[in-house]
Amino acid sequence: MSAIAIGQHGRPRVDGVTRSLEKASLFFVVLAVLYGIWEGYRWLGIHFGWTHPFAVNDTTMPHIHDMVNALFQPTRAGGPLLVGILWRASLFTAKEAALGFAMGAVGGFALGTLLAHSRVLQRGFLPYVVASQTVPILAIAPMVVVWLASLHVTAWISVAVIAAYLTFFPVAINTLRGLHSADRRALELMRSYAASTWTILWKLRFPASLPYLFAALKVSATASIVGAIVGELPSGIAGGLGGAILNFAQYYTFAPQNLWATNIVAAALGITFFLVVLGAERIVVRRAPENLA
Amino acid sequence: MSSAPVAVQPLPQGGVARMVGRRARDWIPAILVLVLTLGVWQGGVKAFHVKRFLLPAPSAIWTAFTNNQHALWREGWFTFQEALGGFAIGCGAAVLLAMVVARWRPLGNALMPYAIAANAVPIIAFAPITNAWFNPLTKSSKMAVAAVLCFFPVFVNVVRGLTSVKPQQLELMRSYAVGQLAVFRLVRIPTSLPFLFTSLKVASVLAMIGAIIGEYFGGSLDSLGANIKQDAALFQFEKAWAEILVACILGIGFYLAVALAERLATRWQPPGGFQSE
Repeated sequence: MSAIAIGQHGRPRVDGVTRSLEKASLFFVVLAVLYGIWEGYRWLGIHFGWTHPFAVNDTTMPHIHDMVNALFQPTRAGGPLLVGILWRASLFTAKEAALGFAMGAVGGFALGTLLAHSRVLQRGFLPYVVASQTVPILAIAPMVVVWLASLHVTAWISVAVIAAYLTFFPVAINTLRGLHSADRRALELMRSYAASTWTILWKLRFPASLPYLFAALKVSATASIVGAIVGELPSGIAGGLGGAILNFAQYYTFAPQNLWATNIVAAALGITFFLVVLGAERIVVRRAPENLA
Repeated sequence: MSSAPVAVQPLPQGGVARMVGRRARDWIPAILVLVLTLGVWQGGVKAFHVKRFLLPAPSAIWTAFTNNQHALWREGWFTFQEALGGFAIGCGAAVLLAMVVARWRPLGNALMPYAIAANAVPIIAFAPITNAWFNPLTKSSKMAVAAVLCFFPVFVNVVRGLTSVKPQQLELMRSYAVGQLAVFRLVRIPTSLPFLFTSLKVASVLAMIGAIIGEYFGGSLDSLGANIKQDAALFQFEKAWAEILVACILGIGFYLAVALAERLATRWQPPGGFQSE
């Protein structure tokens, strides 16, 4: 009996281990192939002097090991290592993005909940919330930063406001969708027990909305980082990743690997934010969404 | 039986008329909100003498829009071309690669984690690099960013669409001894269309954002983005808002064009019908 039990429990576990090992090795194989493609294209481009679509040389396509190396070099003699500078810049940008993400998520959830309970408000505001998804909303970033600066708002908070409004709209739409996705039969049952609107909201509608909410939060996690980086451009904040990108872009011809290294760190920050939300989703949501657009 | 068509005929007409009426009534709150917002904005700016550089009145923005219309549309067209070029390159490459990957599944399984990770990367930060690859004053530098931005969502969605074919359909095709190409044409591509268009709509917005933000990092003064940035820095807010208005009009137009293409391409499909069975 016990042998069978072990066999039954043991086999899938071994399978799981080998599968994740396979996955990990595949991951590194693909990474190596991508590395090979970059270096191969670079070599061919330099060797044959390709100028189309762009001239290939050390400036346009630095070695990947040079980019990684640059992280562990000081940007100027005697200065701190680049990775240290970028670590602090990432923390700064992460702070802006996290504050914006929190403000946008709370505001978006509040608006979504409000709209879910009033048809008139829904008809009045929903068209604009939907339309906001079709306009290049980031274009307003410089206006918001300059405007808030004239109201004596601290610069990094005005950047957080930009991250917030990028988070706001997807969260509002998906909250509304999610709150409406509650099972009709459960809704009728709650009503037949004379449950209050609040009880229905917290016991039924809110749990039903979670998969939708997290779908929006995953999109917004990246969007809030993008908003923070773009918001830093016109605000003249030098402490964040956006400032670092502007700075290293100016010296691109002298040290291209610094800008590439900064982008690697920005990418890592974006993926980290996404993974944090993904982790939260794994903990909170147990039900798979049946139909998410 | 013979009277049925006569009885049925007037009903849809009345239905349509009622639907139009109801739709108009549906829009009343939205129009009210717009009018109220503009009214409060205009009235508030006038009543409290809000300084011009804090928030220009809607009428001032409209004046700036009409006065500079010629230049604004020229800048808008410049930026729109960048967005359109990037959209075409990025979406085209994504669809092609997605087809290859859907045909050779192991390749897809290997590449998908990277594509999904790339969707979480602030790709816009690569704008200064494409500015260095191409001359920042050229359109190609912004097209490149827009193309990369469009690529990943379209790629992920089209792969998902091409591989979400029902097994029964594939078995039916196999039982008819249909070739791989025909399976692609008859089953996989039609199944993937809703997925494709969902991602194309996202990509149309991303392409505009890519072009405009690319211009924030440095670009020709014939472009919207460079002008928005400059006018905001020079406190010429009316003009900057007028430029943003143009960007929004072009963005919505682009989105609606893709949505219209979707209607035309998936007309044979009842809405949501591909999943309902």
